[in-house]
Amino acid sequence: MECRVLSIQSHVVRGYVGNKSASFPLQVLGFEVDSINSVQFSNHTGYSHWKGQVLTADELHVLYEGIKLNNVHHYDYVLTGYTRDTSFLEMVVDIVQELKAANPNLVYVCDPVLGDHGSMYVPQNLYPVYKNKVVPVADIITPNQFEAELLTGKNISTEKDAVEVMDLLHAMGPDTVVITSSDLPSRLGDRFLVSLGSQRHVRPDGSRTTQRVRIEVPKVDAVFVGTGDLFAAMLLAWTHHYPNDLKTACEKTFSVMHHVIQRTISYAHELAGPGRRPSPPQLELRMVQSKADIEDPAIVTEATVIS
Amino acid sequence: MECRVLSIQSHVVRGYVGNKSATFPLQVLGFEVDSINSVQFSNHTGYAHWKGQVLTAEELNVLYEGIKLNQVNHYDYILTGYSRDTSFLEMVVDIIQELKKANSSLVYVCDPVMGDHGVMYVPENLLPVYKDKVVPLADILTPNQFEAELLTGKKINTEEDAVEVMDLLHKMGPETVVLTSTVLPSKHGDQFLVALGSQKIVKSDGTTISQKICMDIPKVDAVFVGTGDLFAAMLLAWTHQHPKDLKTACEKTVSVMHHVIKRTITHAKELAGPGKRPSPAQLELRMVQSKADIENPALVVEAKVLKKSSDKTL
Repeated sequence: MECRVLSIQSHVVRGYVGNKSASFPLQVLGFEVDSINSVQFSNHTGYSHWKGQVLTADELHVLYEGIKLNNVHHYDYVLTGYTRDTSFLEMVVDIVQELKAANPNLVYVCDPVLGDHGSMYVPQNLYPVYKNKVVPVADIITPNQFEAELLTGKNISTEKDAVEVMDLLHAMGPDTVVITSSDLPSRLGDRFLVSLGSQRHVRPDGSRTTQRVRIEVPKVDAVFVGTGDLFAAMLLAWTHHYPNDLKTACEKTFSVMHHVIQRTISYAHELAGPGRRPSPPQLELRMVQSKADIEDPAIVTEATVIS
Repeated sequence: MECRVLSIQSHVVRGYVGNKSATFPLQVLGFEVDSINSVQFSNHTGYAHWKGQVLTAEELNVLYEGIKLNQVNHYDYILTGYSRDTSFLEMVVDIIQELKKANSSLVYVCDPVMGDHGVMYVPENLLPVYKDKVVPLADILTPNQFEAELLTGKKINTEEDAVEVMDLLHKMGPETVVLTSTVLPSKHGDQFLVALGSQKIVKSDGTTISQKICMDIPKVDAVFVGTGDLFAAMLLAWTHQHPKDLKTACEKTVSVMHHVIKRTITHAKELAGPGKRPSPAQLELRMVQSKADIENPALVVEAKVLKKSSDKTL
């Protein structure tokens, strides 16, 4: 498989978020991963302390120029996640547009990180950039419920709402949308959350069809960091292998997440000891230990096709 | 296996040198790799063009401070390679000294990158820093012939010279020394180069013995970049698995190198087309494609254990 991904995300010295979370699993699955580190921090910002440096939009451009001057700016995928800076995000958009001109088949996988549980955790002025510039060039997006509502201006209270929101997101650009988590009630009870996906296809005869799926995902009683980055990377990988089968792509992606998270929470509890809540360092994803699950995830969730 | 490596090396957006070359293979072998990127460049400097940014000694210290403030400055290994800056290298030394205090069993694997084939390709003022500060802290050292000669002030014309140089390097600090390549003549002919290794082992009764080995390695008619970084990372991994058996550690390390290089040159020639020399971009190591070889390298080289210098080698 000759498949090259350009991933523009954070780098942390220790732990698994951003490029640290995305690169190893993609490489293990045989993807060539070129990575531009948007920041270099000691660790993620959920620890008591964090220190490091950020890349400016100009420095991002300089790196891209280097790639371009060598005539190696040919990518099959671009992957982006958490960003705090509008000028940086706008430079990313310029780069994606150039790369799409160089390869019209390029697939841009975008996690539109804006916030969660009703509040934004990036500067508010990123919102119009995502809405007007980023999402329109995205092919696959992985918003959570809050981000999906923000981008479309529509609240999700029922599954029908979620389907409408995903259709609105399709109309903005991406053919594949996965709402990674929602507050919708699960058929399996309150230990589960509901994720939904939608993929638009054009049939050989020119007509359009949409496959929609619902996945019930077991809740875990802990705050993980980097799981969204891993999710977007693995959705890239599994939609690459199953480009017309969102059901299978989602089952594999959610299954990988499950194995990594289970391994992580078990280990974190061991480290913390009985009756104690694990700390952020203890909760770092057990990424290298999950290599076999990443390579070949045993399926533990079934996606339901919904109309 | 719970083993954490701190690797302080370059990052390139595209290709495999520095941390890009070292990290994936070590992670594939189950090591936790914390990586501080000393630079971020678009690609290595052998391409027609390269662009990017460097980390200052101060910025390196800030990153380390973050790790320390969270009390997670505990490592089993440190790995360093190519550096161009004396103040950066001196900051690296300070960090290693602190980490060794935090964990007295820490193993520092150092590739003392200074030059090759008789020419220095880093600023000359790095030599005294390596000689006086870095090498004394190192536990495993992977110089080529030129670097070994520079550090010890002794030329290598014979196998005996190489053995003496490795002993001089042991005296400077590291218990494990691998001369990654020399121009010594190989018994297999001029399609091979000679590499040597020496490891001091303290026996349970307190006496010290040294195991010295040599290997004949097939030459490849191409310029690879990042292979030294891969070598040091894999030597870290295989000496970890075989801490008192340098012969086996080197056989595995050199074998992995062989598989990666072969796969790379084959692919590069395909890309370049018949009769054309592959470009730097085409010669990038086929790292992700070599995962199985990295995990479990089929041995393709046998290291010879050298007789002690009091006996003549056959």
